[in-house]
Formats: sequence, structure tokens, C-alpha cells
Amino acid sequence: MNVGAEMWQGFVVCISAVFTNNILLSYFLGMCPFVSASREVKTATGLGWAVVFVLTSTCALNWVLYHWVLLPLGLEFFRFILFIIVIAAFVQAVEMLMERTSPLLYQKLGIFLPLITVNCAILGGSLFMVIRNYGFIVTVGYGLGSGLGWLMAVVAMAGIRQRLKTERIPAGLQGPGITLIIAGLMALAFMGFAGVT
Amino acid sequence: MKIIRKVFDGLQPLFEDGGRLKTFKAVYEALDNFFFAPSARTPNAPHLRDPLDLKRYMSMVIVGLAPALLAALYLNGPRLLAMIIVSYMAGGAVEVAFAAIRKKEIHEGFLVTGLIFPMVLPGALPLWMVAVGVAFGVFVGKELFGGVGRNVFNPAIVARCFLALAYPRAMSGGYVAPGGPGRLLEWVGLDAVSGATPLGLAKQGTWMDVPLLDMFLGRIAGSAAETSTLAILIGGGFLLMTRVANWRTVAAVLGSATVMALMFCDSLTEVIWQLCAGGLMFGAFFMATDPVTSAATNLGKVIYGVIIGVVVMLIRNFTGYVEGVMFAILLGNIAAPVIDEILYKVRFRRLQIEG
Repeated sequence: MNVGAEMWQGFVVCISAVFTNNILLSYFLGMCPFVSASREVKTATGLGWAVVFVLTSTCALNWVLYHWVLLPLGLEFFRFILFIIVIAAFVQAVEMLMERTSPLLYQKLGIFLPLITVNCAILGGSLFMVIRNYGFIVTVGYGLGSGLGWLMAVVAMAGIRQRLKTERIPAGLQGPGITLIIAGLMALAFMGFAGVT
Repeated sequence: MKIIRKVFDGLQPLFEDGGRLKTFKAVYEALDNFFFAPSARTPNAPHLRDPLDLKRYMSMVIVGLAPALLAALYLNGPRLLAMIIVSYMAGGAVEVAFAAIRKKEIHEGFLVTGLIFPMVLPGALPLWMVAVGVAFGVFVGKELFGGVGRNVFNPAIVARCFLALAYPRAMSGGYVAPGGPGRLLEWVGLDAVSGATPLGLAKQGTWMDVPLLDMFLGRIAGSAAETSTLAILIGGGFLLMTRVANWRTVAAVLGSATVMALMFCDSLTEVIWQLCAGGLMFGAFFMATDPVTSAATNLGKVIYGVIIGVVVMLIRNFTGYVEGVMFAILLGNIAAPVIDEILYKVRFRRLQIEG
């Protein structure tokens, strides 16, 4: 496949990963940070961009390692462990970088930043790219799209929750309860993009 | 009037604390409020500049809905009335239950939701689906968020999306075909049903088979009240004049949809056809303008409207769905709080720099 066609396919996959196959609202991956870090728009935006960055980079890194190391050696079954190691190392690097450049954000994200390591959306992105046989450029597009879709969803959720802060939500539903209900209604709206041709 | 007042005064002790019917206090107060406006006056400034309170506001919307409702009754027959009654009863039951638990009064907001919802449904939809839909919309879409004025999503839209995904066949097949001189005296059954709306025909490639005049007057298959563009324009114009509906939202939705249509269509007739088709007009005037679920800032309303208009056209042209107004408005509702938040931040920062 020539590069131009692959770029186009990458673009299409990226757009569909944002809307049609939103990794959060269609596959419900990456729920834990989505529920816990969506109290404020600012925190959500920070974490969202971190996910975009980590998801795109780890997808690309994992593609290279999978296709150039694991496949030639016939060690495909090894991919879960390898992907997790790559993701963990990468998140550690991002964490250190963020601590240096933006201490305030680092403080606010607190425990959630290391939690990106075990964010199923990140591992899910890498595993989907293997299952769906994406090429390298398409993989980068897919990682970027999934990350942006996650960012969009978490920021929208944070906006809604910030507005709901003063409302009379039934006591038993406050916090995670109403968040999951809102997520369900958001998924309802995103069903409108289903079957994009 | 005096007689009614006497009846109410006589019944009041029953509903007070200690009375036998105190659980239903909310019902009593709602009825009382429906007949008699609260008579509190303000002796000192500030005085109200406009007697338009929440109740009158809702009444305006109902007046605005009247032309479309009459057109729908003419085109769909008395079955629509039954749907409205079922919608009021099922949704009202949820409303009353929550009002009783919360010990708050019932708000007039439901009068609008309960009326709009059956108006955007296919005319031959089974009545129990109407009841399930409106109960879901009021319960999940409104009451869980704290009731009237606190909901993030438009309850009628939530209800319609829920039905469209839960019962896709009934929701895409129950459209009443236009018949003879109207169906005023006819109880529409399955024999009057036509599965294909103009947009459905367009999707199959038989583009523009339906004449533009029929689209404008409403002699087409479609959800009950969304077909007659003329009636919607009359009622919508009234809402714009009384400023109950914000013109920015309406202009942004229709404007962006027009721009998108210009990109996809070949001729101007087709663009107007697209604007008249489906629920776009009804959604733009009556559902996107809901002051609670739309953006609060003026610029925010424009951005919110553009999101809706663009998404409608994208869904019509690129997805498996025939029409996407409800999904588009729900997406707009999702985005509205963030849009406001960002605009507040920007304005705050600008004030900080200036001050």
C-alpha cells in the first residue's frame, strides 16, 4: 500500500475512533479515571491530554516492537507483558516530565497519573491495533483518534459535573452513580454516529 | 371562580401536615397553582419588570406549539390526542412520585415535555411505548438530576433517543402517511402507515421524489408534528417575537445546516428541501432552544447551535441513520456546559488582564 492511501486510511480511522468507535463511549474502556478525574474541567483536560499523548506514543512504540521483534521471533503470545512494560515505562517518563514542567497539574492529578498505566483504554488501544491488523501510520492515527475521543468525553463530562455540583441529585446517586448515568446518556447520543459509511 | 376557590380552601386541611392526604400535597398545590396565580406582591424595589414567570413562560411555549399541534391533529387524527394523554399520565406519575418524595411542588415544566414528546413520535406508535418512553425521559433525563431547571439533557430528547434505540422497528416504521382531506375523524391504524419518510426515500436514492410544496405544508410521512414547516414557522415566529426562544440558537442551527446543505446539494431547491425535511425545523425552534439544556452565554448559544446544525447534516449524509436531529441536540446538550465553562474562563481572564 502506498503512503498516500495509508495516510488517508489513517485519517479515516482517526475520525471514526473519535466519534463512531469512541473508546470510552462505545467500548467503555478507561472508565476508572473517567469517573474519578472528571470533577473539574481543568483536571480533566490535563489528564485527557496526558492520555492522548500516552495512547498515541505507546500505540506507535508497541507497533514497532510487535512487528519487528515479536513477530520475527514468533513470540506473539508475549505481547500482553511487553505492552504493559512499555506503557508503564512511558507513563513513568511522562510523570517525571510533568512534575518538572507543571507541578500544579501534577499535584492535582495525584494518583491518577500513575493510574494511566493500568488504564484499560491504553492497553486496549495497543491490543486493538494488533487484532485489526493496522499498518504503522494507521496505528498512529488510531491511537491519536482514540486519545482525542477519550479527551472529548472526559472534558464534556467534567463540564456537566461542574454544573451539577449544586444540584439536588438523590443522595445515593451522588458521585460515581450519576456519572455512570450521564456516561450512559452520552453513549446514547454517540450512537447517532453508528454505521458511518 | 369563587366556587373553585372555596372548594380548594375546603380541601386544604386534608393536605397539610397531619392531614389524611398529606402525601399528595404536591398534587393539590399544582392544581391550586394552575387555577390561581400566586398573589405575592413586592412592596419595595426591585420590582419585576415583566410578569413573565416560569409558569407564563411555559404557557408561551404551549401557545407556540399550538399551530404545529393543530396541523398534526389534522394530518394524524385523534390518535395523537390519546398519545398526549398517555404521555401526560405516565410522565405525570413519575413527576408526582418525585414531588411527593422531595416534598416539593410540581412544576409546570412537565406540561411542555409531556406535550412535545408525543409530537415528535411516529403517529402509529403503540401507546405503551409512549408511556415507557416518557417515563424513562422524565425519570432518568430530569428527576435524577434534581428536577425542573436542573437537568443537563432535554428529557423529551432523551426519551426519543431511548425509544429509537430500544424499539428501532416501531420507531422507524410507524409513520402515518398523509391521507385525503386530512385524518381529523379517523383513528389511524396500521393500514395508514407508510414506512418511508421523504428523508428515507432520499437515502434510497429516489431523491426529491416528494414535491417541495408538500414538504412545506406537511403532506408527507413523518413524526406527528414535525412535518408541517409552515405551522412550525408560525409557532416558532411567535416564540422568537416573545423572546421565549433565543434567536441566536435558532439562527445558528438553521444557518449552519444551510451551509452544510449547500456543500452536499446541487441546487437551491434541494437545500430548502433539506431544511424542510425531518425534524430539523421542529428541533431548531422548540427543542434546541430549551433554556435549561442549551448554553447560557450568547456566544455559547451560537456555538451550541452550530454543533447541532452540522451534526444533523453529517448524520443525514454519512451514517446509517435517516435522520439525526435528536442525536444532534443530545450532543449539543452534552457540549453546552463545557462551552459555557470555556467562555467564562476566557472572559474572566480578559477581565483580569484589563483590570
